[in-house]
Amino acid sequence: MEQELAALTERLAALESASAMSGTINSEIFYWWCTALMIAIHAGFLAYEMGASRVKNVLASGIKNILAFAFMVPTFYFFGWYIYLAFYNGLIPAADGAAGLPWDMSMGPNLADNATGIFWAAFTLFAATTASIFSGAVIERIQTAGFLILAILLGSVVWILGGAWGWHPTGWLTVKFGYHDVGAAGVVHMVAGFFALGVLINLGPRVGKFNADGSPNAILAHNIPFTITGLMLIIVGFFGFLGGCIIYMPGEQWINIYGQPATLSAFAFNTLMGMAGGIIGAWVKTRDPFWMMSGALIGIFAAASGLDVYYPPVAFVLGTFGGFVVPMVAVWLEKMGIDDAVGAFPVHGIGGLIGVVSCGIFAAGYPNVDGMPPVSLWGQIVGAATMAVLGFVPGYVVSYILKVFGLLRVPDHIQEKGLDIVKVPVSAYPESYTPGPVNTATPAAAGTPAE
Amino acid sequence: MNTSPIESWEGAEAYFTFADKPAIMMLFLLLAVAITAGTIIIAAVHEKHAYNNH
Repeated sequence: MEQELAALTERLAALESASAMSGTINSEIFYWWCTALMIAIHAGFLAYEMGASRVKNVLASGIKNILAFAFMVPTFYFFGWYIYLAFYNGLIPAADGAAGLPWDMSMGPNLADNATGIFWAAFTLFAATTASIFSGAVIERIQTAGFLILAILLGSVVWILGGAWGWHPTGWLTVKFGYHDVGAAGVVHMVAGFFALGVLINLGPRVGKFNADGSPNAILAHNIPFTITGLMLIIVGFFGFLGGCIIYMPGEQWINIYGQPATLSAFAFNTLMGMAGGIIGAWVKTRDPFWMMSGALIGIFAAASGLDVYYPPVAFVLGTFGGFVVPMVAVWLEKMGIDDAVGAFPVHGIGGLIGVVSCGIFAAGYPNVDGMPPVSLWGQIVGAATMAVLGFVPGYVVSYILKVFGLLRVPDHIQEKGLDIVKVPVSAYPESYTPGPVNTATPAAAGTPAE
Repeated sequence: MNTSPIESWEGAEAYFTFADKPAIMMLFLLLAVAITAGTIIIAAVHEKHAYNNH
């Protein structure tokens, strides 16, 4: 009898161990595929930027975007992950963040750590997303070196600092204000959008964008189908992005980034409802396929902060509102003399702002864990203001310094000639290129294509 | 050159190359940083030349 009991105990322990390891490996697999899907975001931005460029700049735009991806990976390894783990209290690093230093034993193959590599990879792709958001805004007139410095600053420093503050189980915005932003409307989209705005002010418009009296000229995308396909790819990738925003707990219920119980089903309901609302809102406002696809993104961002708790029709209404309103911001921005080539600030900056603030209105009162404050409008406003400043100030200041040193803007005569012929050794369309007819009778309601 | 920090898989944890040789780890890390930073400098120089030639 005792022998049978001992054998049973041993079998039970083996089963528990196998179950735990199976859960750990399932978790790795889940984030592996989220990361793979997120690469579709970068592919989408690449297609969109190249399509939105004129023929003379197609490959230069593509090179810039590919380099952003390449530089995000090592720099996020060098210091990005450390910033996330160490700076959750503000600007003074915490000692336990040392696990993110590139010489830590968890920052490489380790049989005792199945988590670090896969989470580092997912966060690196979040970083690449922020850099891509910024990348589109500055096409056709930014120097590569200046762009890379800014992309690294945004992707491997600025957004992840916002992530440590507001997208971390013990980030100060969460601990003190109950900031709630499960889908990263603030920490990714607002930060990237406001960073882009700061850079655009110093970078200036593309040559020919504005007339002497300040009136704008439309600079047409050279390949509209390519841009629309790119936008759809971005949306596909966002299902990986949002999957990476929820934490797989082997043997237990999912939790969100703040440790509150959640389900992937909630994300599924509200991502799709927000997306659909965004398309409809943008179509009603503009009738423009660029803005319809951008509206899909805006709808997701407008619902992103409360994806885990919203009643799905709330996400739909928020998406519709965002899709309707944001194109107007793009028109306003153009009137202000700012050339945001793909609408990065309106779509991501304002779309994210709608997401963060509306969470304080429509998800107020949801409880927190470990005694932290519940969701509130005040907490969301503080969070939104923090993300706007965190994005804008570094973008403006560093791009100003780059401008002073002549590393920011491509000279006007080179812009007129085209960047591809000046710095790219191959041609995008070596055989021929025949422009299609342009419909000048029914111009789009909003002047520029958008992401 | 033996790059393995382990002699057996039994009880192995961090098993990446040079995990037991911090000086060599640091050397490769610094090399990677230099490549990253150096490429940005190369990009700036390449662009200046390209612009001056046109």
